Amino acid sequence: MNDATDTQAAPEAKPATDEPLVDPASLKMTARNVDVYYGDKQAIDDVSIDIGMDNVTAFIGPSGCGKSTFLRTLNRMNDTIPIARTSGQIELDGEDIYDPDMDVVQLRARVGMVFQKPNPFPKSIYENVAYGPRIHGLAGSKSELDQIVEKSLIRAGLFEEVKDRLDDSGTALSGGQQQRLCIARAIAVDPEVILMDEPCSALDPIATAKIEELIHELRGKYAIVIVTHNMQQAARVSQRTAFFHLGNLVEYGETSELFTNPHQERTKDYITGRYG
Amino acid sequence: MNATTASTDGRQPTDWKTDAMQRRIRARYRAEKRFRFYGLAAVFLSAGFLAFLLFTMVSSGARGFTQVQIALPVDFAASNIVIEPEQLDGNDREQLLALADFQGLAQESMVAAYGDDGQALFSNGAWVQLRNAVSDDPTLLNRSEVIWMPASTEIDFAARGDAGENQSEERLAMMERYQALEEAGQVRSALSWTFLTMGDSSDPTLAGIWGALKGSLFTMLVTLALAFPIGVLAAVYLEEYAPQNRWTDIIEVSINNLAAVPSIIFGLLGLAIFLNTFHLPRSAAIVGGLTLALMTMPVIVIAGRNAIKSVPPSIRDAALGVGASPVQVLTHHVLPLSLPGILTGTIIGMSRALGETAPLLLIGMRAFVPSPPDGLTDPATVLPVQIFLWSDELNPGFVEKTSAAIIVLLVFLLVMNGLAIWLRNKYEQRW
Repeated sequence: MNDATDTQAAPEAKPATDEPLVDPASLKMTARNVDVYYGDKQAIDDVSIDIGMDNVTAFIGPSGCGKSTFLRTLNRMNDTIPIARTSGQIELDGEDIYDPDMDVVQLRARVGMVFQKPNPFPKSIYENVAYGPRIHGLAGSKSELDQIVEKSLIRAGLFEEVKDRLDDSGTALSGGQQQRLCIARAIAVDPEVILMDEPCSALDPIATAKIEELIHELRGKYAIVIVTHNMQQAARVSQRTAFFHLGNLVEYGETSELFTNPHQERTKDYITGRYG
Repeated sequence: MNATTASTDGRQPTDWKTDAMQRRIRARYRAEKRFRFYGLAAVFLSAGFLAFLLFTMVSSGARGFTQVQIALPVDFAASNIVIEPEQLDGNDREQLLALADFQGLAQESMVAAYGDDGQALFSNGAWVQLRNAVSDDPTLLNRSEVIWMPASTEIDFAARGDAGENQSEERLAMMERYQALEEAGQVRSALSWTFLTMGDSSDPTLAGIWGALKGSLFTMLVTLALAFPIGVLAAVYLEEYAPQNRWTDIIEVSINNLAAVPSIIFGLLGLAIFLNTFHLPRSAAIVGGLTLALMTMPVIVIAGRNAIKSVPPSIRDAALGVGASPVQVLTHHVLPLSLPGILTGTIIGMSRALGETAPLLLIGMRAFVPSPPDGLTDPATVLPVQIFLWSDELNPGFVEKTSAAIIVLLVFLLVMNGLAIWLRNKYEQRW
């Protein structure tokens, strides 16, 4: 049970540096002892992590390590999988998100999500962005809604490209534009946290660069958590990185520190490309 | 071939120019051409059948929309009908008309105009035309007027130039009679809407399709109003909410089997449940509609489930991701996206229901219903049953009525499907 000792060692590795990794003032989400099961199979084993407001947090790890599964527990998207079972405690601003009183619909408005494959609704660009604000009643009038849509598109760096064809179908855009449209859609409901599940894996390098640039710009306005299988991307866009392996959180630290001076043997092996 | 297969160690470079190779390529192209020809032949064959069907239907059914009429001079003023035109403005109009002896007047006029056997020229119910004419224009009562009246079946045959196989003397006499009338300009074949506006009758010259058309309309409305919402809701529940357990499996298998059950069994079910248990009125559109709804529902459920299943999960994720509730995901995204598929299933189910005869016979819709139904509980018949009844008639005058009724049924079907396809395209464009 080498894995187990490793996992326990990871959270303890943090206090050793005296100050906590995430400044308590900017603490947005905390997870404590989270387990996720798919039927009998354990996908996440006792993960504890703090996510800060002021930074981009990256989850890295080999395929099937549970990083996406863990991401989806943060806005309870795993609830939609009937056989998935989650235990442990996850808090958003000190509120337990798995509390029976927590409204999942509101939680997902506060913790937005961008998916691996761009998935715009088969509606107009405008409708794609306006959908969230509309169902949550965020805009009092048509002009207010227009403003939200425009601002969100500007923020997602898409407005200049689509401002003359807001009524065109969102699915007619290129892959990279579609993904930025999905980011605009997530931004439009004014979330506090944005979860991105390998947002660039279906995109070409130029579109990827644009998304990474966008993540830079959004940093600080939203707590961003990005799952990526691309270590260079994690190094480029994030300030903190968590390394997952076989459902365990092996190591969590400053990105620069983790990539240059990993504390755990497994992290080192992964980063140096010994497995992946 | 021997030269190439001879080398077992290490392959020789393939020579694509050999005769064998060329032959194979030519054979491949030939096979391709042959295959295309078979497909084309199949298309032409089915198009030919369709054209043949339409041609025979239209050519023999077209006469069903016309009526042979004979001119009858009627002297209303001199008749023993003593109603003043002004009286017909009052409330007792219907009663006055009903009591007046138009039948007697018609008989007198026929005898006066065409001799003692004059009545034989006219359809039995022809006198009703007089009443209708007076009802339309009460001033007729003060005048003498020529009224065009429907001819009898025998004259109808004579007009067709068909004296029948066994050319009996009566038939030949009727032919001569007709020719005489024609020379005098006292007979005409007029386009008549009576076929579309009248109910059934035992006299083919007066029989109309309106009763059956209305019956079909009512029955289809009941079927659609029940089968569509229940079918869609069942599909939504099974696809979105039902837990994966044995009960769901049993329900699923049952619904799939239900869609394949022969329709006559649904007729027996309708008989047992709606007539014998709930004592709903016999041969009424509501019972027909309920029975056909039972039959149509599984088709809509299956089509609906497939359509809902084909909505990509990424769309659900996207909607859930911005905080839509499960019901919002369903009503804003899943249902609109699956609507074209659901409508396709509904078209198939409803078309089948419209053409269904067997189950309706069992619940008593094969009765002779001369007056068109005014409501869902009135005795009614439907188009296919009417066709069945007429095709069973001994009187040859019903042959063209049957064809005409088939045309009406096909047009009904076309209108219904056209509507559904228009709806489907509308929604496909929006999404």
